[in-house]
Amino acid sequence: MTAEILEEIAVTLSELEDSAKIRGLIDKALAQRVPVAEIIEEGLRKGLDLVGKKYENGVFFLAELLYAGSIMNDALQMLRSNLDLKGVEPKGVVVLGTVRGDMHDIGKNIFKMFAIASGFEVHDLGVDVEPETFVDKLRETKAEILGLSSLLTTTLWEIKNVIEKLNKAGMRDGVKVLIGGNAVTKDFAREVGADEVALDAVEGVKICRRWVGK
Amino acid sequence: MMTPRERMKNVIHFKKPDILPWTESFFSETLNKWFSEGLPADKLTIIDWTYVGMMPDALFFGFNPNSYFGCDPLMLGVDIDTGPIPKFKKRVIGVTDRYVDCLTETGSVLRRSTKAEYTWYNMPMFIDWPIKDRKSWEEYKKRLDPKDPRRYPKDWDQDAYIEFFESTQDSATGFGFAGFYGFGAQLMGIPTFVTMFYKDPELIHDMAEYWEYFTIETIRDAVETLKDRIDINYWWEDLAYKHGPSISPKLYREFLLPHYRKVIGFLRKNKIDRILMDCDGNFNPLLDLLVEAGFNGLIPLEVNSGMDAITIRKKYGNSFWCIGNLDKREIVKGGAAMRKEVDSKVPILKEMGGYIPMIDHQVSVEFTLEKFKEYAEYIKKICGYTQKS
Repeated sequence: MTAEILEEIAVTLSELEDSAKIRGLIDKALAQRVPVAEIIEEGLRKGLDLVGKKYENGVFFLAELLYAGSIMNDALQMLRSNLDLKGVEPKGVVVLGTVRGDMHDIGKNIFKMFAIASGFEVHDLGVDVEPETFVDKLRETKAEILGLSSLLTTTLWEIKNVIEKLNKAGMRDGVKVLIGGNAVTKDFAREVGADEVALDAVEGVKICRRWVGK
Repeated sequence: MMTPRERMKNVIHFKKPDILPWTESFFSETLNKWFSEGLPADKLTIIDWTYVGMMPDALFFGFNPNSYFGCDPLMLGVDIDTGPIPKFKKRVIGVTDRYVDCLTETGSVLRRSTKAEYTWYNMPMFIDWPIKDRKSWEEYKKRLDPKDPRRYPKDWDQDAYIEFFESTQDSATGFGFAGFYGFGAQLMGIPTFVTMFYKDPELIHDMAEYWEYFTIETIRDAVETLKDRIDINYWWEDLAYKHGPSISPKLYREFLLPHYRKVIGFLRKNKIDRILMDCDGNFNPLLDLLVEAGFNGLIPLEVNSGMDAITIRKKYGNSFWCIGNLDKREIVKGGAAMRKEVDSKVPILKEMGGYIPMIDHQVSVEFTLEKFKEYAEYIKKICGYTQKS
């Protein structure tokens, strides 16, 4: 029974059925005393993985990613507001932001949505973020991952500035740096000393999962 | 020797021009910068300022970059206003030490950095949009009356325009408007607009239906007056980003295609059959649908996003003529990198036909005047401009 309802949640999410249907299935799972952690892990996150696969296979596009993310967030919101989430530990902590001089955030926000839905604790600093602010937040949260986004070619070098600040603060070894955005390339990542470049949100979350080993 | 218009018309009809036309579009900030790098400032008769979202944007009079560098303007035409009328009153609605937030004429709110070093690109972030749901859409519709006489230029006179469209030879003729995706994304913001295809499909159908009616009725006078004196009909779409279209082919087929066929059908009925779509990003997955819709021109084909004019021309034959596709990241380097990029594409596409060279977006301030001049001389040589008197 448990496996069936969790499978139904995953498939329903991956087929982009509306939030009301997912909520109904979650209620049903809770009535069957399925633990919240299992609903999230085996139902919702599995569904999101299926969405990611459809995106990678060219079946889904930006609209579908955004819509799936919003269904997922609604579901998590529902679980958070009604239930004790003991046993649902974050997979990892991410500090995220668009670099100084750039105010674009669609890609960053999709990554954030998917990272949260995948179990990461995300501290989003927003757009046009000063290099020092990233460093301060990393120090405060002890995050192991830093996500930097840049759409514009003109602000790409701000990524390098942030990494240099991390080096100066002696924190570089404890932080994996993931860069993304329209302007970034693998060559650029190598050049500025980032650990990885994500071509899109789905790939970004995969990289983060690999890094935390979960 | 052909005129610039004849050359353009030949290319977009897959015929051979005597010289391959070359076109570019320049950010005003780039020209502004180049005046300090050696552009002849004495040629300027006036620099005026317009306000794009309350930030000054230079307009140069007396200096024509096309004639200075020797490139061909893409098109001259009727400036039909397809925006809201009355327009929203532009005003600053918030200022901090870092940003200025402005209400734009379309009703969106944009945020710009106040730091001079970050304002060059005119690339603000929109933070609010006028349409959020059905109620705000119904309200907005009141500003989209296609019959409002203010939609046409003040000098709109059918006979005068017929004469101009027949006689002008400086470039192709045309007019443009936003496609439904561009229209919706501009008024709702991309995330809200694209998720609304799922959250409220009826609203999107209604908006698309109205867009079709509004577009046809707004352009009707110009189209029925000028007919095939219009060489190019230009659509602004921007429905893709680096990794693909913002909406799937399935959504495109269901929500956009039927309306696009009707608008393009109306144009074709009036003998306007060169339909150009302006879209940044990677829209490869939509190419079959674009053919079905009736588009046959593509611009600017960003290399960074995986667009390739040679592949498209080979695969789709004369279904598409292409403008652009010269990688700005390589051209800006100048020298061997620039020549390699030009050499790898232009001679092949010149031979294949149906191609007009252009950098794969507007010329940005990253270009020095010297590097752009070097590129201009080289591309003109490849195009055959040296024969031009």
